[in-house]
Amino acid sequence: MSDPSAVTVERLKKRFGQRTAVDGLSFSVAPGEIYGLLGPNGAGKTTTLRILAGLLRPTEGVARIDGVDVGLDPRQAQRHLGFLTGTTGLYGRLTAREVLAYFGTLQDMPRPRIAARIDQLTAALDLRAILDRRCEALSSGQKQRISVARAVIHDPPVLILDEPTVGLDVLASRFLREYIGAERARGKAVIFSTHYLAEAELLCDRVGLLYQGALLAEGRPRDLRAQAGDATSLEEAFLRLVTDLVAA
Amino acid sequence: MNLPHVSAVFRKELRETLRDRRTLTVMFLFPLVVYPLVSLLMAEVMAGKQATDEARTSHVALVDPDPVSRATLTALLNKKGTGIEVTRDVSLAHATGLDVSNNLIDAVVEVAPEKTTDKAKADAARGNAPLPVRIVYDETRPVSDQAHDRVTKALAGVLPNGCFQSYAVTGASLATKTKVGGYVLSKILPLIVVIMTMLGAFYPAIDITAGERERGTLETLLSSPVQRFDLMTGKVIAVAALSLLTGVLNIVSMSLTVAEGARLAAGTPILAIPWPRAAATLLIVVPAAFLFGSVMVAIGAMARSFKEAQTLLMPVYLLCFTPSLVAGMADFRLTGLTMLVPGTNLTLLARDLMLGEAHLLPTVIVLASTIGFGAVALAFAARLYDSERLLASTDADLVSLSAWLRHLVSRPAAPGSPEVAGAQPVPPSAGQAVSLFGVAFVLWFFAFTWLQRWSLIPGLMISQWGGFLGLVWVYARLCRRPLGDVLVFRRPPPTALAGAALVGLSGWIILGVLADKVIPPPREVVENIRNLIHPPGESRSLALSVFALAVTPAVCEEALFRGAILQGLRRQFTVPVSCLLTGILFGIMHGDVWRFVPTTILGVLLSWVALTSGSIIPSMLVHVLNNGVLIVLGYYGLDQAGDHLSGGATIFILGAAVVFMLGGLATIRRAGRQTAR
Repeated sequence: MSDPSAVTVERLKKRFGQRTAVDGLSFSVAPGEIYGLLGPNGAGKTTTLRILAGLLRPTEGVARIDGVDVGLDPRQAQRHLGFLTGTTGLYGRLTAREVLAYFGTLQDMPRPRIAARIDQLTAALDLRAILDRRCEALSSGQKQRISVARAVIHDPPVLILDEPTVGLDVLASRFLREYIGAERARGKAVIFSTHYLAEAELLCDRVGLLYQGALLAEGRPRDLRAQAGDATSLEEAFLRLVTDLVAA
Repeated sequence: MNLPHVSAVFRKELRETLRDRRTLTVMFLFPLVVYPLVSLLMAEVMAGKQATDEARTSHVALVDPDPVSRATLTALLNKKGTGIEVTRDVSLAHATGLDVSNNLIDAVVEVAPEKTTDKAKADAARGNAPLPVRIVYDETRPVSDQAHDRVTKALAGVLPNGCFQSYAVTGASLATKTKVGGYVLSKILPLIVVIMTMLGAFYPAIDITAGERERGTLETLLSSPVQRFDLMTGKVIAVAALSLLTGVLNIVSMSLTVAEGARLAAGTPILAIPWPRAAATLLIVVPAAFLFGSVMVAIGAMARSFKEAQTLLMPVYLLCFTPSLVAGMADFRLTGLTMLVPGTNLTLLARDLMLGEAHLLPTVIVLASTIGFGAVALAFAARLYDSERLLASTDADLVSLSAWLRHLVSRPAAPGSPEVAGAQPVPPSAGQAVSLFGVAFVLWFFAFTWLQRWSLIPGLMISQWGGFLGLVWVYARLCRRPLGDVLVFRRPPPTALAGAALVGLSGWIILGVLADKVIPPPREVVENIRNLIHPPGESRSLALSVFALAVTPAVCEEALFRGAILQGLRRQFTVPVSCLLTGILFGIMHGDVWRFVPTTILGVLLSWVALTSGSIIPSMLVHVLNNGVLIVLGYYGLDQAGDHLSGGATIFILGAAVVFMLGGLATIRRAGRQTAR
C-alpha cells in the first residue's frame, strides 16, 4: 500500500562537520494538513526545511515530498513543492509579473498556463496594483505577497513556509495566515515553521516541538498543552517540556 | 571630538576586518605575492625577448654599382657590434623592395638610388657631399624595421675628413597606408580588446553571483527544479554576451579613433583601417568573452558579498591581464606553448588576424583551448552551485590577536573544541600550505633575492637556513607540532634511499634535455646560471659550492616544500594533485620563467618521492644529487660537454637515464609499499 502522506521524514540526520543540526527526526504531513515545526533558534527547523526543499542533502535518513525521495532526486522533488522563507528575496529590477513568469518557466510551465496562473494568483493575493511594478519599489507586505505567489506559481501539492511572517505587520500577517488556511482547504499539505508559538496555535492542525535537532513532542496543540499538565498556551507547554527534559 | 568613541570604532572595525581570513588574504598576501610574481614574469620575459632581438642578425642586401664604395660600405655594415650582415647571395645583388616584401631579405640598402641627380653623385664622389643611401624596408615588419634602424645607426656615425656625414641616409618603407593602419592597430587593439572584454565581464559576473547571494534571491532560485549546470550556463552566457558587446564596441571605436587621431595629428590621412581584418579580430571576442565570463562567474560564486567578490576578482583580473600585457608589449610568435596560454594566445591571435598573418592551425588551437578553459571554469562554477557551502557561513569566531594569528595558519575550529582550548596540535591543511608559501615567497622576493645579490654564498645561507627552514620552524611552533613531525623526517628503508640515488643521478640529464627542447632559454640566461655555479675569476672551493648550492637547498627547500607545504596540500588533495601543486609552487619560487617547466617537473618528482617513501630524506637525497652533479660538472668544466655529443650519443645517454630513473622510481614505490604494510 502506498504512503498517503504528502511529506514523510524518517530518521533524518544532518551533520555539519562535528555539529549535529538534525538528529533522527521523523514526522509526516497529510494532504490538507498544516503541520507546525516549532522550536527555539538553533533547534534545527531551518535545516530540516532546507533538506525538504532540496537545498541540503541529508547525512542519514529519508525525506519524501509527494513520494519523491529528496536526497535521491532533489530536482524532481522541487517540482512538487513551493518553498518560502521570511528572508526570501525578489529580483528588485524585475517587475512582479516578470518574476512570476521567470519562476514559472523554471518550473517548465507553458506560457499560456503561466499567464492563467498569474491571473488566478492576482485575484487570490490581491496583486493587481503591484503586478507591473518593479519589486524594489514594493513594501515588505507587498513583496511577501509576491514571494508567496512565486512559491506557488506551479500550484504544488506541498508548501514549505519558513517563518513567512517575520517582519510583517499585523494586517499582512493575518492576510498570509488566511491564504495558508485557504490552501489547506484546497488539499495542500503545509509545513509551517515559526517561533511565534501563538501564531502556530492559531493555524496548525498538528505541531512538532523541535529541540536540539530532535522531536521533543508532537500532536495537536490542545493535546500538547494537556501533555504538559494543562498548560495555558503552547508556549507554556513548550517551556515545561524543555524544563522536564533538561531535568531528566 | 570624542576620542574614546573614535578609538572604539577604530578598534572594532580593525578587529572585524582582521577576523575575515579571505579579505585578509586578498588584501595583504595577494598584493605581496601577485605583484612581485607579475613583475618577475614580465621582467624575465621582456629581458629574454630583448636578448633574443639583440642576438638576431639583420640580413641586408647592398645594391651599389661602384665596387670601391661597395667594399667600404660592406665593411662598415659588417663591422662587429652592428648586428648586420650584408648578404653574399649573388641573386640578391640587385635586390628590390619585392625581395623585402617576400621576406627574402630584411632590408635593401641602395647607394645613389635612381632619383639621385648626376651632380649629387659627382659631389659625393669628390667628397664634397654625403653619398645618398636609401634603405628600402617594411616598417610593419619588426625584423625589417630593426634592420632599417641598425643600418641608419651604422652609417650615421661615419664622420670622416670634411666633418659632414659621409652618407645621407633616407628610409623608404614599402608598407601601404592600409598595412600601416593594420600594424598600428595590431600594436594596441588586441590588448585593448582582450582587457576590455575582461572588464566587460567583471561587474555583471559579480552582480549575478555574489549580488544574487547578497540580495537573498539565491535560496529562492536554488529551490527551483533547475539543473545547476543549466543555471550556470545561463548566467555565463549572459555575462559573456555583455562582455562580447564591450569587446565589439571597443574594436569599432578603437579603429575609428586610431584612424581619426592619425588624420588629425598629421593633417592628412596617413593610414587606413583594414576593416576586413579589424572585423576578423571579432573572431577572438566570442571565445574570450566565454572564457572570462566563466572564470569570473566561477570566482564570483565563491564570494559571500558584492564587496568580497570585488576583492577576490581583482587579483584574478590582474593575473588574466598580465599574460595579455606581456604578449601585447613584445613581438612574440604564436607557436608552441604560447598557443595554450590564456590571454596571451588571444592577444597574439588578434594581432596576427589584424596583420593578415594568422594561420589555420594556431587559430583553431587558440580558439579550441580558450573554449576548453572556459568550459572547465563553467563546470567548476556549476559544481560550486551544487555545493551546500554556498548557503553556509563558516568563519569561526575569534577572540584575540593570538587566536587570530593561529587562525591564519590553522583550520577553523569549533568553539569549545580542544584546538581552541590550546592543548592539542593543529593538523596541517591546504590553507596553511598556501599561506606558508605566500609568506616564504614574500620573504624571498623582498629580502632573500636582495641578500643573494649582495653576496651570494652568505645570502644563500641566511635565506635558506634562517629563512626557509626558520619559517618551517615557526610554523611548527604555531601549530604546536614537533619539527620532525612537520618535516616527516623519518628513517626510510635502505631500498628507498637506493631508489632515490638512482633518480638523483639520472634526473638532471632528463630535465636538462627537456629544458633545452621545450623552452630553450636565451644564451645569456644559461651563462648566468653557469657563472652562479662556477663564478669566473673567483676561487670558490668545490666543497663550499656543493654545500651552499646542493646540500643547503636540499635540506631547506625540501623542509619547506616537501615538508610543510606538501603535507598540508595532501590533507585536501589526491597524491597527483598535491604533487602537481607543490611542484608548481616550487617552480614559481625559483623565479625564472625559463627554468619554470623543468623546476616544476623536478618539484613534482621530489614530491612523489617524499609521499611514496613516507619520508623527506629520500627527496633530500634526490635534490642533493641533482644539484650536486651539476655543480661538480661545472667545477671541472664538463657542463658543456653535452653540447658536443652526436645525436646518437645523446639519445643513448638519455635512454640510459630514463631506464635509471624508472628503476629508481619503481624501487621507491616498492619500498613505500613495504613500509606501509
